[in-house]
Amino acid sequence: MLALRTLQKLALLALVFVLASFFLHLAVNAVPGDPIALRMKNPDPEKVAQLREQLGLEQPFLVRYGHYVTDFLTLDWGRSLISGRSVLDEIGEFFPATLELVLVALLVGVSIGLVTAFSARWLQWPALRTVSLSLGAVGLTVPIFWLGLIFIVIGSYALGWFPVGGRFDFANELPNGRFFVLSAITSGSLDILVVALHHLALPVLTLALYPAALVCGVLQARLHDPQLTFLLRALKAKGLAPWQIWFKHVLRLMSAPVITVLGTNLGALLGGAVLTETVFSWPGMGRYLVAAVLNRDLFVIENGLLLVVLLAFVSVSLADLAALVANPLVRRGVRPV
Amino acid sequence: MASGLAEAEKNALSLHKPVPGNGPACIRPCRAAIIGRCGNHHRFASMRSKAESRRVRLRLLMTCLAGILGTVLAVSCRRGDGGAKRERPSTFVFARGSDAEKLDPADVDDGESVNSMRPIFEGLVQFRSGTLDIEPWLAEAFEIQDDGLRYVFHLRHGVRFHDGTPLNAETALFSFARQMDPEHPAHFENASFAYWSYLYQDISEVRAAGPMTLEFRMHRPNASILHSLAVFPAWLISPGALETYGAEMPRYPVGTGPYRFVSWKPNQAIIYERNPDYWGEPAQFERLVMRSVPDNTVRLLELKSRNIQGLVGLQPAELADLVSDPKFTVYRGPGMNVGYLAFSHFCERLGEPKIRQAIGMAIDREAMVRLALDGYGQVADYPLPPGFLGVPDRKPAFRYDPDGARLMLAEFKDRWKSPIELHTLNAPRPYFPDPLKIASLIRSDLEKVGLPVKIITRDFKSHLHVMRQGEFDMGLLGWTGDNGDPDNFLSVFFGSWAAKKGAATNISFYRNSEMDVLLLAGRKETDRAQRQKIYEAVLARWALDLPLIPLIHTEQIAVMRREVTGFKLQKTGNIRLGPIGWESMGME
Repeated sequence: MLALRTLQKLALLALVFVLASFFLHLAVNAVPGDPIALRMKNPDPEKVAQLREQLGLEQPFLVRYGHYVTDFLTLDWGRSLISGRSVLDEIGEFFPATLELVLVALLVGVSIGLVTAFSARWLQWPALRTVSLSLGAVGLTVPIFWLGLIFIVIGSYALGWFPVGGRFDFANELPNGRFFVLSAITSGSLDILVVALHHLALPVLTLALYPAALVCGVLQARLHDPQLTFLLRALKAKGLAPWQIWFKHVLRLMSAPVITVLGTNLGALLGGAVLTETVFSWPGMGRYLVAAVLNRDLFVIENGLLLVVLLAFVSVSLADLAALVANPLVRRGVRPV
Repeated sequence: MASGLAEAEKNALSLHKPVPGNGPACIRPCRAAIIGRCGNHHRFASMRSKAESRRVRLRLLMTCLAGILGTVLAVSCRRGDGGAKRERPSTFVFARGSDAEKLDPADVDDGESVNSMRPIFEGLVQFRSGTLDIEPWLAEAFEIQDDGLRYVFHLRHGVRFHDGTPLNAETALFSFARQMDPEHPAHFENASFAYWSYLYQDISEVRAAGPMTLEFRMHRPNASILHSLAVFPAWLISPGALETYGAEMPRYPVGTGPYRFVSWKPNQAIIYERNPDYWGEPAQFERLVMRSVPDNTVRLLELKSRNIQGLVGLQPAELADLVSDPKFTVYRGPGMNVGYLAFSHFCERLGEPKIRQAIGMAIDREAMVRLALDGYGQVADYPLPPGFLGVPDRKPAFRYDPDGARLMLAEFKDRWKSPIELHTLNAPRPYFPDPLKIASLIRSDLEKVGLPVKIITRDFKSHLHVMRQGEFDMGLLGWTGDNGDPDNFLSVFFGSWAAKKGAATNISFYRNSEMDVLLLAGRKETDRAQRQKIYEAVLARWALDLPLIPLIHTEQIAVMRREVTGFKLQKTGNIRLGPIGWESMGME
């Protein structure tokens, strides 16, 4: 069953690749204006024609599409029209920053959601219930840039506890790796870890609120489902300890929606969390791709966006498969408790 | 979710069957009892133990929370000491909205790349700080020979590039040869070297005339070439950079300036350090950092939190509380730019100069400066900034006169059955900090005199494309000057050679042979008084035809901490951080 689903997903991935690459190529070519000429303040038509020829932009549409697909698959992504650097190198620089931010944020967000929802149910404490309900309301409705600014004004400006933005202090030597937290842990440098985490704190909180609210909302509904009471009683009657009841059975039962939330959010955020990155001066994919679109940076748009689309699809698919493994009811197509 | 709660409670209540009097203990879990809303319950021994365990759980949770809070506090306290810096910091941190594109002076045209390279590179000549006067720099002296057909530069002795390469005629030649010669190894394939075919088009040959003498030969005399040689594409790069970095040279700038390049973290910061072997006055900071902080509000907060010592890119409205704050100095000065309203030659409805003049008279540009620039700018009387050669002291033919405009337009009443299209960009540019506001001000002014206007908005690149095709009725665009020469504005706007579809800077597609003759004569003429007369004639010709109406000149704004010394705004708009210093104020 799992193998079949995996095969299905792979077939879908191929389809998504063909469709996404084609429409991306179509869209990039349909936008009026020549990206080469528009780069120059005072364009010289001869030079523009020469550059277009060099870049292969004078070939027919389908030939260029063929080149695009093969170049993408062989990782020959060309050079940015703006910076002149290899697109692969640039993505290799910006993507880890986004990945680090997004993974930590999702981890924190899901933990906040889980802890709030579970403790509200476990403790049966009305105030906590209110907290968990309002987390859902706030997290889903408050715009992220506003929240980020509020965090900066309070956490950085008024209290001075956190840096205002950026990924690292320029007073310190920058870590070597592309994932600062990871390289700090592997190199065992506490100092670097502290600085990196310090810079991560506010953007992570900002970004974590939405998944936290989602997880909390989904669990809220399920944890307070009256049928759960029967299950709890049955498990208790079976003689299981509370921790076994909650962590082995209930958590597992609840994990499918959490995994789905995790997967879809990861997929959505892999392309970069543009607003959070902008507010916190974070050098991630979102800012990079938005600037590329505004600058008509042809090869960055084509290859960068296609990569993001594929990664998003893979992430959602993996979450689906993981949910399948976690909950046998999903596998049978039965709505879980 | 609220309905879920209600349902759950109802459910719990239905499970609970109240027992009257002192009946047996309720053994079922009763939510209503737990949350204290059940009046029928007595607290029995079994329930007490539950309440107790609840308290235990609560205590556990509180402990966890306290732990997290404590960790946060501990981490924060570690940072507390770095707050107040009264002494001169060893690192000067400066922030702007976007990062450099590349660090190759010959192949950029965006302000941030130029600002980023300014501490590293120097040219043969440069603009005397804060002016448009030329002073010798890496050349100790220069001579103009053969009636402006030959420029000879005598290079300064004892100057070395950051990689140790000595400055001489051969090494200086490298920076020019790579732009001129398509076969040159540093004439990179994907680079456009757009400025060479534009500001330097009249240079025919550059050669080493002696070990320390560099000679430029011209196709024809060009009065602005000295100014052009002070502009960034003429900054000198070490030939050693090509040897060391090859095609990656645009990422690793090697110049002769007071700071040398350390590293570049794209979209984060460019880091520089003091050049210990600098030939001139040594830099005052050990390190220099240019950060990119995209959000204006956040950049301002960075400044107020003392994380950065200077910034650019704030909008006038955001400066309000900074101007009166003694901790900061707000620098403002005229920018070398003009924002204008162009009329396309291809739009027949606006064909008569009289109509264009009426439109000029209908627009209240004073109000525009007040409302769209918050006073940080001035009305543009002429299509080039005041103080330029040839700009007359008197006001031009048209001034704000809506009644006159209404009368003049009434004659062509039947032309305005459908609205005139006003094309505009949607994001700020140096010459239009708020283009949408400017467009709507124009619309309301024109509608007051009976001219219906429809605003069409696009992102900058798409807008630029439409403008360069000439496919519009009226369009908003602007120009930032490069070398401070009138030709750099007037030829760009009015030369028929600049009206090529798709590549036009003369977006009105204005073609006038008399104008062309004047512009070419102005370029060639080296006598200042003669030149002035020519440009006066050019402006007189412009006022007759009005292919475009200049609207505003914006001011440049920079904010520095009060302690910063030696900073001056440059006419060219470049930020020069090389000479800045720090003077402790002894306050706070």
